[in-house]
Amino acid sequence: MTRDFLKAALVLALLPAAALAGGPGSAPEPDGLWTGALAGYTPSTLKGAQVVETAAVADLAEKGAVLLDVGPADRRPDTLPKTAIWLPQHRAIPGSVWMPGAGEGVLRPEQEKRLKDRATALSGGDLSKPVVTYCKPDCWGSWNLGKRLVGWGFTNVHWFPAGINGWQESDRPTVPVGIDADWRATTAPAAER
Amino acid sequence: MIANVSRAAAFGLAAALSLSAAHAADDKAEREARWTELRQTVFGDRKVEDGDLVSLDTPVRAEDASMVPIALKASRPGEVRAATLFIDDNPAPVAGKITFGPAGDASLTKLRVRVNTYSNVRAVAETSDGRLVETANFVKASGGCSAPVGASDEEAMKGMGDMRLRVRDEVTPGKPAVATLMIRHPNFSGMQMDQVKRTYTPPRYIKTIKVTYNDKDVFTLDGDISISSNPVIEFGFKPEANGKITVAATDTANAHWEKTFDVPSQGN
Repeated sequence: MTRDFLKAALVLALLPAAALAGGPGSAPEPDGLWTGALAGYTPSTLKGAQVVETAAVADLAEKGAVLLDVGPADRRPDTLPKTAIWLPQHRAIPGSVWMPGAGEGVLRPEQEKRLKDRATALSGGDLSKPVVTYCKPDCWGSWNLGKRLVGWGFTNVHWFPAGINGWQESDRPTVPVGIDADWRATTAPAAER
Repeated sequence: MIANVSRAAAFGLAAALSLSAAHAADDKAEREARWTELRQTVFGDRKVEDGDLVSLDTPVRAEDASMVPIALKASRPGEVRAATLFIDDNPAPVAGKITFGPAGDASLTKLRVRVNTYSNVRAVAETSDGRLVETANFVKASGGCSAPVGASDEEAMKGMGDMRLRVRDEVTPGKPAVATLMIRHPNFSGMQMDQVKRTYTPPRYIKTIKVTYNDKDVFTLDGDISISSNPVIEFGFKPEANGKITVAATDTANAHWEKTFDVPSQGN
């Protein structure tokens, strides 16, 4: 409650007036991808995709839908003492493919191509296979990925705005996952490749 | 026919249940593996026992993941020399270590922590004879480490280092007393993002809080990024006839603050 209030207060203080209407889910749908900050109130709709709640996601997961998580990776603070124990882990809906950063509004062309190829491979080349995109609440990343999938011709796209928080709140299990190897190869700095 | 339908339904239900039971079991096994890794990182090969020496009071579901109240209780406070607090699934899982001194009372210590995802919150007590005893509770909260501290960094840093101390009830010499310490400090975790600049606020947090009573140690808290902003710490101490509590805090930028508070006792 306090947190929501603080978050609301923060957003009020920081965002330009246009994005201010009401609260979670209140933003108007942009025509294309959202290129602003990924954290912030999203629309409650996504043209060409279905907006789903936790129970529907559980059902889709059971039926073998492709689950794409674009939640951000925890970043080690630069000046954290070397002695500090830093063991980040990312929890996702069991069966998910984790691609942090894949929800950015602007991707390099080769990243965009890699993402499209990966999504196509994960769905076995079947554009009608159900796909679920998620991250966490008030996160444009999963909205953007859903938008991209629709644009690439996927016909069974599901956007899950409550994301991992909504999933956990329903007491469903989560599993730690690593970054998808294929996606990691596109995002690693050149030196690491 | 009806039997077949209900059998099919029962089969479907059983399959669904066994699937979620399997996931739940995975979840438990994986959390144990995480703790084993942590335990070995911090304590090496030392044995960590289960026991009733310490317990934790934590909310089942936290209202604010960036300020989750936890209370550490010791059933035999005299035996507890120190306690290390873990939030297993935080990226920096060691939240802090509290070392109790001769003027301290480990019966009850309360503070507030950041919980990043549904996690076990754990305390490992070190006894005066060198044993390690643990207790853990599961807490449902997420996003605590990256939740913004205030409307802006500047505002969050206002009054940094200001301290207040409140001693509960009247203090009677020789009888353990309880005090609450409040320190203004954003305790930036380094994981909080400025949504306008889209940059991370660098970590800056209190690394040590040392509390003494008449120059005797009450406790020292070595904290990390999981301690909430504006730390509020409730602790026990052993008062004498006349007393002063001194609090000294140092943050990771090596800023240092110190303040002394009079603690009048009933005997005066």
